Amino acid sequence: MKKFFLSLVLAGFVSQAAAQTETSEERFGVWFPFQLLPNLSLYSSSPLSGFGFEWEFTPVLYTFGMNKQISPWYAFIVEPTARFTGSIELVVAGQLFTTKMGRSYFAASGHLMGTIPLVERGEHLTLNLGIGAYRIADQTRIFKVAGISTLFGMVHFNLKHGENPTTWIISLEFRIF
Amino acid sequence: MNRLASTRWHVVSLLRCFVVTFNSSASSGESVCFDCLSSEDRFPQRQSRNDTSFFLFRWLVVSLLLLNGCGGYIQRMVTRSLERIGEPVESAPMMISTPVLDNPPLAISWVGHATVLVQIRDKVFITDPLFTDYIGMVVKRYVGPGLDPSLLPRIDFTLISHIHMDHFSFGSLDMLPKNGTLVIPQGLLRYTPDFGFRGLKELKPWESIEEDGVRVTAVPVQHFSGRYGIDNAWLGQKGYTGYVFEYAGTTVFVGGDTGYHPELFKEIGRRFPIDVALLPIAPGSLTNLGGRVHVGPLGALTIMQDLGAAYMVPMHHRTMFYGSDSNPTQAIESLRSLAAQMGLSDRIIDLDIGEQRVLRLNSEGLPAGLP
Repeated sequence: MKKFFLSLVLAGFVSQAAAQTETSEERFGVWFPFQLLPNLSLYSSSPLSGFGFEWEFTPVLYTFGMNKQISPWYAFIVEPTARFTGSIELVVAGQLFTTKMGRSYFAASGHLMGTIPLVERGEHLTLNLGIGAYRIADQTRIFKVAGISTLFGMVHFNLKHGENPTTWIISLEFRIF
Repeated sequence: MNRLASTRWHVVSLLRCFVVTFNSSASSGESVCFDCLSSEDRFPQRQSRNDTSFFLFRWLVVSLLLLNGCGGYIQRMVTRSLERIGEPVESAPMMISTPVLDNPPLAISWVGHATVLVQIRDKVFITDPLFTDYIGMVVKRYVGPGLDPSLLPRIDFTLISHIHMDHFSFGSLDMLPKNGTLVIPQGLLRYTPDFGFRGLKELKPWESIEEDGVRVTAVPVQHFSGRYGIDNAWLGQKGYTGYVFEYAGTTVFVGGDTGYHPELFKEIGRRFPIDVALLPIAPGSLTNLGGRVHVGPLGALTIMQDLGAAYMVPMHHRTMFYGSDSNPTQAIESLRSLAAQMGLSDRIIDLDIGEQRVLRLNSEGLPAGLP
């Protein structure tokens, strides 16, 4: 599992070389603090349910909806247009789940997410489909992801489903670049 | 009122705002669910939408807009639009039936907002095409476009002045014919989907392209950047521009969206002999030159004089709520009054939405006056 996440991060750095070159320190300095704002999620997994925070990053994204004069590869800082006009991305995330009993669990996940534009080239509405692996309490679980995004690719409502035991995670995510 | 009822009213109002705002197909303006809950018996304290009911949603929108680096005028545009949800968009007073004419010397049609169709001989230009009812999902236009884009057989140059959603509308660009070149300001390539235009060119300030006898030059104006919030912080002066396009001896300036600058427009006027300037006249002060990023009527007239333009076409008014206007026609009425006081009335091509005007030429082939 560690190798998997390490390879994801490595893929991000490698793709950075092929991605856009506009990234600057100033750009990073503005972008990074916003990534620290967690997404909110609710989960239900018999016999537990609770509330969670999630921090997401995109090591690499390939867009197929943008003009051909720019590279389709992005790393970490992703213009919303590149994502919502149609894309496939690797998403790595850290989660903090809390239960009603007051216990907290840390989890890590990696997702392969596809974004399909539906309205106004995706700026108003997209369909999101994906699959991912969660590492929680020394177990690795596979989740299927489906959802929609709206408001210029900034607000995402995703439903994640895993088996053994059946687990549902409803997440309201805010991605700002 | 008791606290519980008040809380319920705010919650339901917020839900109603979300439901009707994000359901653009709602024609009645009242969602069924909300109607179930909104009887006067349940909510006797209900007053106008202006006061209580939109408070929470306004707070959310303002927070987003502050994050987006936008001023209060956009907030007012949004809240004014929310009040008009469910109301139909007013039809344009006129409709352009033949957008592309047979080789006119110079034809100018105002489609609404900053969308102007210009034809010089056999070349057709359109600026900042906007044909959708909603801009940025929540700002609603008052008056519909004065042109059905499906009537356009071709567009040689589509000029995008800047990154904001009322000037760079994805849905509207999808409605245009793709047999021409899409011209965008520096910084917009990373925001431009693959629309399928025959050509796509990003221009830096003072950079030109020449195609088939047409020269299009990006010229600096004074506005602000950013489309999705924090990008305003790093785009800086990228993402907005004006244009000058020249063909067959005729030169047209496109202001896009701009504030007044005491040197900028004089410099453009020194470099180009401007025949016609397409200039925004709102939102901006009715009594002075306007703010840093927008001009009002006086600012626009001053820009016309600084450019040395023979004529001016006022645009960027009436189509939606512009924040500083107490009524949609205030800006153009103010422009007419000021132009009369300054002796400039005969240099204003005062088009209504959907109106097309053909200018005749003098002996040197230059625009010689209004028909």
